[in-house]
Amino acid sequence: MVAYVIRRFLLLPLILFGISLIVFGMIQSLGSDRLLAAYVNPGLLDKLTPNQLEKIKEKYGLKDPMVVRYVKWLKNTLSGDLGWSVVGKEPVKDAILNRLPWTVELALYSIIPVVFVGVWLGIIAAVNRDKFVDHFVRIFAVVGWSFPDFVFGLLVLMIFYSVLGWFPPGNLSFWADTVVKSPEFRRFTSLVTLDALLNGRFDVFVDALLHLIAPILTLSWLWWAYLLRITRSSMLEVLTKEYIRTARAKGLAENVVINKHARKNAMIPVITVGGGMVIQLFAGTVIVEMVFNRTGMGSFTATAATQLDYASIMASTLFYSLILVIGNLVIDILYAAVDPRIRFS
Amino acid sequence: MKQPILTVKNLRTYFYTEDGIVKAVDGVDFEVFQGETLGIVGESGCGKSVTSLSILRILDEKGKIVEGSIIFDGNDLTKISEESMRKIRGKDIAMIFQEPMVALNPVFTIGEQIVEAIVLHQKVDETTAKKMAVDLLRKVGIPEPEKRINEYPHELSGGMRQRAMIAMALSCKPKILIADEPTTALDVTIQAQIMELMKQLQKEYGMAIILITHDMGVIAENADRVVVMYAGKAVEYTDVKTLFNDPKHPYTWGLLHAIPRLDVEQTRLYNIPGIVPNPLKFPSGCKFHPRCEFAQEKCSLEEPELIEVVNGHFVRCFFWEKVEQAKKKEAGDEQ
Repeated sequence: MVAYVIRRFLLLPLILFGISLIVFGMIQSLGSDRLLAAYVNPGLLDKLTPNQLEKIKEKYGLKDPMVVRYVKWLKNTLSGDLGWSVVGKEPVKDAILNRLPWTVELALYSIIPVVFVGVWLGIIAAVNRDKFVDHFVRIFAVVGWSFPDFVFGLLVLMIFYSVLGWFPPGNLSFWADTVVKSPEFRRFTSLVTLDALLNGRFDVFVDALLHLIAPILTLSWLWWAYLLRITRSSMLEVLTKEYIRTARAKGLAENVVINKHARKNAMIPVITVGGGMVIQLFAGTVIVEMVFNRTGMGSFTATAATQLDYASIMASTLFYSLILVIGNLVIDILYAAVDPRIRFS
Repeated sequence: MKQPILTVKNLRTYFYTEDGIVKAVDGVDFEVFQGETLGIVGESGCGKSVTSLSILRILDEKGKIVEGSIIFDGNDLTKISEESMRKIRGKDIAMIFQEPMVALNPVFTIGEQIVEAIVLHQKVDETTAKKMAVDLLRKVGIPEPEKRINEYPHELSGGMRQRAMIAMALSCKPKILIADEPTTALDVTIQAQIMELMKQLQKEYGMAIILITHDMGVIAENADRVVVMYAGKAVEYTDVKTLFNDPKHPYTWGLLHAIPRLDVEQTRLYNIPGIVPNPLKFPSGCKFHPRCEFAQEKCSLEEPELIEVVNGHFVRCFFWEKVEQAKKKEAGDEQ
């Protein structure tokens, strides 16, 4: 098991190397003219002579063969220099470090309703198959699963902000933002809700939470609906198994049969799907952060992509790949922990 | 006169499915005495498993006991509360199932599953329960029980798993052990070992066994008395010797005819014509009449009752005497 995990970690740089090659190749295939946009103020582009443009291309090595440029990028990246982010107007490293906590906070808080509501309702639905509770829960699941998140997000924004005025868009209110940025506010974890509590600023905590509720609702509904369906069908299958009858024949109470004997078996497919889903949540933040006008990795990546800010694109792509690969590894480990029939060698 | 420890009277268990009512068990009567083995025999789908699930009341939600009584220890198991029933399950009446491959929970160790049953019904702590589990595993013939107890079901062979199932079922020294096709999924040599083990434990614990099978050979070797079931009904009920030497129901007679014999030259095996009827569309009158050699008009109109034709020999047939004549004729042919 330990050897397996180590081997998977040794593979990690190789995978990242492959991904960086593909993404770099895709960006560079746009041609040197397009890439100029990252170095020249767009307003000036028309005013420069072709000669001047060629000089700029040469200066930034845009005329070098792709291999040379890739090696240069790799060298810089390995030495910790990720380049300058045009979108963030700061070094890419700082841009990511400043935005990541907001996204992590959003994704982490979304996992809670997804896992607990999804799994819990899935089990309830399965145990009460074809009864009222089951139908009721499944209607919510179908609605959630059928709505694209950008449509759902806009609806949430319309209802809870425009009409009711409960949950404002953005990361924080202006006053709270000032508090957070003030030197007295100490950053322990970079997660603003936690830091607010640790600083004793309950008002900031509430403000951050109010800004989080609508994006969490949007981000999580799709996935808890999905997880509910997986849990329900997995649980229904497990409940027909003979070992469930054995458990009942032993004289166990029905809730022990369901919560101990059935649930542990039913969780095996849920972990596979659910683990992949947690990774997908991070991808989901791209759209949700755009809809709710939040600063974060998602909106940063989306803006960088539209503006051809290739240093930022490379860095954020690698970041998402890292999450994906590590996430998959965690799923595999969890899988072995739940199902004794799976052993890695 | 010995008192039975379990009396099943006119048991009827129906399943209310979307396609209609399935009368899986539709009139079964038998008694179980202490220390004996009662065999229930019949084809697939005749209701023998549902009978055993009805006794423990672990039918799925569509199945309901609609009529009859199951008297155990002076209580009618069809009437007592779910909580009192839970105290009987696994403690007084335990059960082992057909497929040891799937009857044990794959994500818990053998030990965890046995200890769970012990702790549930007996006032012992986990450590004592674990010691008891090791002893039980040793008793059912599992080598290195201290090591096996921490293994998962998939690490054991089929025979070992069935032994572990038996250990689990016996953990609370039940008065009745229901064995639902306990050897069907095992190969022949293991079958013999498991049946031998069950006999030996039966002697030691003095428990009664309800042995459910479709295998007449298993019945002949292990049962004391036998219920023959067809289409949800008990059709013949007597002791094992009488059943094999003097079957009185045409169905039993047919079944015994279908067993290959060593003492007579046979070119072709006898078979009962037709197939098992669809439980949603049982025939009228006697359920067996479309396949019966001795059927008369009366059989398709009226349903026969299970009656005691000779002392201790119950048959559900209007014309059981015709089977007698056929037997006599056959005996004459053979000479």
